Amino acid sequence: MSTFTTRTAMPRRTFLRGVGATLALPLLDAMIPAMAAPAKGAAPVRRLAYLFMPMGADMPRWTPPGSGKLDELSFILSSLEPVKEHVSVITNLEVKNAYPGTHATSNAAFLSCARAKHTESNDYFLGTTVDQMAAQQIGRETQLPSLELAMDMMQTVGQCDNGYACVYQNNLSWSSPTTPLPAEAHPRLVFETLFGEGGSKADRQAALRKRASLLDFVKDDITRLNRQLGPMDREKVSHYLESVREVERRIQKAQAGVADNPLPDLDRPVGAPAAYADHARLMFDLQVLAFQGDITRISTFQLARETSNRTYPETGVSDPHHPLSHHGNDPEKIARMAKINRYHVSLFTQFLQKLRATPDGDGTLLDHTLLLYGSGMGNPNVHDHINLPILVAGGTVHGLKGGRHIRFEQPAPLANLHLTLLDKAGVRIEHFADSTGKVDGLFEPLSI
Amino acid sequence: MDLENLSREDVVQHSERWERVVRRLDARQMPPAKRKSRPTEGEYQSAINSLVATLDTAAAANLKPGRTETIRRLNRTEYQNAVRDLLALDIDATALLPADSASHGFDNVTVGTLSPTLLDRYISAAEKISRLAVGGVERAPGGDTIRIKPDITQEEQVEGLPFGTRGGALIPYNFPQNGEYEIQVRLTRDRNDEVEGLHESHELVVLLDKEQVQSFTVKPPRTGEGHQYVDAHLKFRLQAQAGPHQLGVTFLKNPSSVLETKRQPYLAHFNFHRHPRLSPAVYQVSITGPFEAKGPGNTPSREKIFTAQPKSPADEETCAKKIISNLLRHAWRRPITEEDAARLMAVYREERKEGAFDDGIQVASSAILVSREFLFRAEQEPDGLASGTPYKVSDVDLASRLSFFLWSSIPDEELLGLAERGELSKPDVLAKQTRRMLADERAQSLVSNFAGQWLHLRNLDSITPDGRLFPDFDDNLRQAMRQETEMLFSEILRGDKSILELLKTDHTWLNERLAKHYGVPHIYGTQFRRVALQPDEERGGLLRQASLLTVTSYATRTSPVIRGKWILENLIGTPPPPPLPNVPALDNGTVSESLPIRERLAAHRDKPACSGCHDFIDPPGFALENFDAIGRWRALEEGKPVDASGGLPDGSVFTGVSGLEVGLLKRPEIFVTTLTEKLLTFALGRGIEPNDGPALRQIVRNAKADNYRFSAIILGIVNSTPMRMRQTL
Repeated sequence: MSTFTTRTAMPRRTFLRGVGATLALPLLDAMIPAMAAPAKGAAPVRRLAYLFMPMGADMPRWTPPGSGKLDELSFILSSLEPVKEHVSVITNLEVKNAYPGTHATSNAAFLSCARAKHTESNDYFLGTTVDQMAAQQIGRETQLPSLELAMDMMQTVGQCDNGYACVYQNNLSWSSPTTPLPAEAHPRLVFETLFGEGGSKADRQAALRKRASLLDFVKDDITRLNRQLGPMDREKVSHYLESVREVERRIQKAQAGVADNPLPDLDRPVGAPAAYADHARLMFDLQVLAFQGDITRISTFQLARETSNRTYPETGVSDPHHPLSHHGNDPEKIARMAKINRYHVSLFTQFLQKLRATPDGDGTLLDHTLLLYGSGMGNPNVHDHINLPILVAGGTVHGLKGGRHIRFEQPAPLANLHLTLLDKAGVRIEHFADSTGKVDGLFEPLSI
Repeated sequence: MDLENLSREDVVQHSERWERVVRRLDARQMPPAKRKSRPTEGEYQSAINSLVATLDTAAAANLKPGRTETIRRLNRTEYQNAVRDLLALDIDATALLPADSASHGFDNVTVGTLSPTLLDRYISAAEKISRLAVGGVERAPGGDTIRIKPDITQEEQVEGLPFGTRGGALIPYNFPQNGEYEIQVRLTRDRNDEVEGLHESHELVVLLDKEQVQSFTVKPPRTGEGHQYVDAHLKFRLQAQAGPHQLGVTFLKNPSSVLETKRQPYLAHFNFHRHPRLSPAVYQVSITGPFEAKGPGNTPSREKIFTAQPKSPADEETCAKKIISNLLRHAWRRPITEEDAARLMAVYREERKEGAFDDGIQVASSAILVSREFLFRAEQEPDGLASGTPYKVSDVDLASRLSFFLWSSIPDEELLGLAERGELSKPDVLAKQTRRMLADERAQSLVSNFAGQWLHLRNLDSITPDGRLFPDFDDNLRQAMRQETEMLFSEILRGDKSILELLKTDHTWLNERLAKHYGVPHIYGTQFRRVALQPDEERGGLLRQASLLTVTSYATRTSPVIRGKWILENLIGTPPPPPLPNVPALDNGTVSESLPIRERLAAHRDKPACSGCHDFIDPPGFALENFDAIGRWRALEEGKPVDASGGLPDGSVFTGVSGLEVGLLKRPEIFVTTLTEKLLTFALGRGIEPNDGPALRQIVRNAKADNYRFSAIILGIVNSTPMRMRQTL
């Protein structure tokens, strides 16, 4: 095989039957409401979703007035109106370890709250991110411990920002201080990770039956070997047979899964849609499906990368995002940047609506998912990491109470919020990075 | 130690211990060089000769061929090659199976286990491979996405693509069926989401088997427009025939792309900050299809599999049996019984009930690919032998030993046929087959698989030198480094030269990128060629090659310790023991980091706990200090002249790489024994034990008469006791 390429998958077959187009859109909008009723009575599943928005926000246009009950929404958050009761705005969180203020550390510290080792080489060092803390505990119960998604088709290497290695800016999730987890932006590859070839229920059942019969052949084959061996090698063979039984269990579990699973017929998307909005919606849909099929309970999604020069024609703003974020306090520029911020939030709103429209357990997916949306930067004009734009949503079954604005008088560590959400998701740890406590107010009944 | 009063019985009784003594005496590591009174050369010789004579005589009377594990799984490389030879299908096993762990320096030694995850992967792999090989009808189109490594500079022609092009990739691709396929190309973006290097228009061309099938123009966005859509139009459909093809995606080289800069330009261009791309680069190529599939076509795989085609339904059983028996015999590397074929025929029939004839063959192929006699090598043991009894391995097992050694794959028809007829073990037949196999293209696995592991070349991919200190390093250079070493090894193998030429040659293999790295002028283009060297030039043998000098360095600096350990382990054959558990690290605050590495290590060798080993380890590494951490020659380090004085464990001292080479070639049998030992480890799939000493010595002795030619070593191994025999447990 050639040495200069990495083949990211050796997948096969499937696509919108009979459709020759390269866009598999709309993938799911039509399917989600039509899903079968979920099984009742099981223990509620707890999920965590982290959404990253790059380069802070215009905080005056982000922060809603007052505190306590979330009444009037701000300009940037206005799209949240229909789901307001599920969302809380948290004001005055900071992430000290992102200093000295850079784009690389804004991304790296968002979920780790750790200080990135200043290097552009392979000796990078950060901290285990909060999603991976959760994945290591609650991720064991699902096919994938966690799902890492991004919107950008790139994997730059070397230096990316002020002497920081590109991994800090490319990867939100780190499973250890030295192991960044690459995020996938290609919808087809994400789909295959989640669902293999997909297909209808019958297709999936048939595929599993074939695997099961191949496995039967292996079992018979290995059992025959046993007759010809001495005691030591026989022990080895009994280990092989244990492996066979384990794979057998996996296939049976998957077969049961297909039978009970509310997932619709699945068609693999072919490529990434050219338009940002379509691509982002597809990525959100894949997360909904992953949660719905209980393929994973943890996801991270980078809506765009720090320093992205992407333009968002949908917003009526033609300037690229990064230069606009260095607005130099020019009111015109700030206003245009705020439109981009608002646009990103509107995609989040759509995601929340989809989760709310999908039944799960005794309620909806939104009830069973804790979501954190925000940025590792506050004011991008000066690269600060105080007064971050942060939202928390969903999680009714975790005890989360939405529809409020929690405003800290003194800056509080973002790590406190991370710790709180972990706790509610059933992941018990004492401290996380520079945490000093928990954000109790999130879960108390509103007493105003 | 009193060697004179040593009795023959003592030596024979404790042969394992005395084999170790011989090894240390051979390397002149015992007694230590520090000792004031050391034996004379003559005393060494006579002590070794007398010990060796006793050991060898005893071994000849009481053969101890050793015992490779009974059940060994094919490793990932062997699996890939076996699929290639069984089904005429090139696959990338790294995308299908997890890596194997190595022990004794090779990844074909610890292969007894079968975890659930691995079994799961084998099942998935078998399904994919058999489907691709048979070219069965698919429910819907599939696809692959091929990404190009991000640290490849794409400013120059890629080998295999036409002159006048630059960058991109030549992708070997197996189209599953005749039909239409969509090709989509995306360009590399910088950290700001902009297509890097897009300053003017560029022509992108797509070639199928060297024929241009499409071209596109890529333009910078108009002012005020982002880069989102500049590569959105890079997609089209093409008609392709099923089977293996070469898909080329590349740019036409713009005549104007001459770099104007006041400074010496970097050679690497892949990072916006450090050394930006000058022109756009290909990021990924997606291939989706087939749309409107028109059948499995006539592929090499189908030709190999379908040795019979049913003319009527009544024919099917006979044909299926013929096909399955043929596949089975090669997959299992042995004659097939009626019962064997019947088991697979049952699998075929079950599928045939629901599907077509081809479907039945496809599922039977899957079953063969997960069968234990394909996945595992299990050698037959004769019945009724007492424990520890040596016996000759059967001809059929010998055929597999031979093919997995020389090809990392299954035996071919000729080899298997000879083995089945019981002719393979005849000395002249065996020698002829060995020579035939060495001359075969498949013996290239000795370069990529054996040498890649022996010399640690495989580690090169995971090495990334510090970008600030070595801004010229990119994957192009990394691959060129690897290729130089592979070409030298290949030259020795193919030209049947003396293996001593690995250590010292009067020429080397270079392309433009590597020549620039070495400062060798007048070498142009991406293709490698043989370059004669002047006697005083800095390049030549293995120890002067950037590949090895880089894998034995840290990201920021050289490491005489790693280099020294590498030399002891891989060239001298006396690896140092691992560090003691409670030895403090070098930089525990007591040694200033600003000192040159030599002085820092000296501070460390003053500690008695360290010096015992580091007195051996560091000096050979010091001799290479004229080469920096990416193998460039340096006369100065931090403004001071480099001190390259070094030594070898035998007490010899010298300066620089030339001295080291002279020291190693002074008694060439040390190096020859080490390489032979590595080859034997690889051939047997087990660690070499002291009891293998007599066999090793015999191979080296016989090869000496033939000037240590590569084939002499290989033939020696093939004829050796550990290769031809095995002992019961």
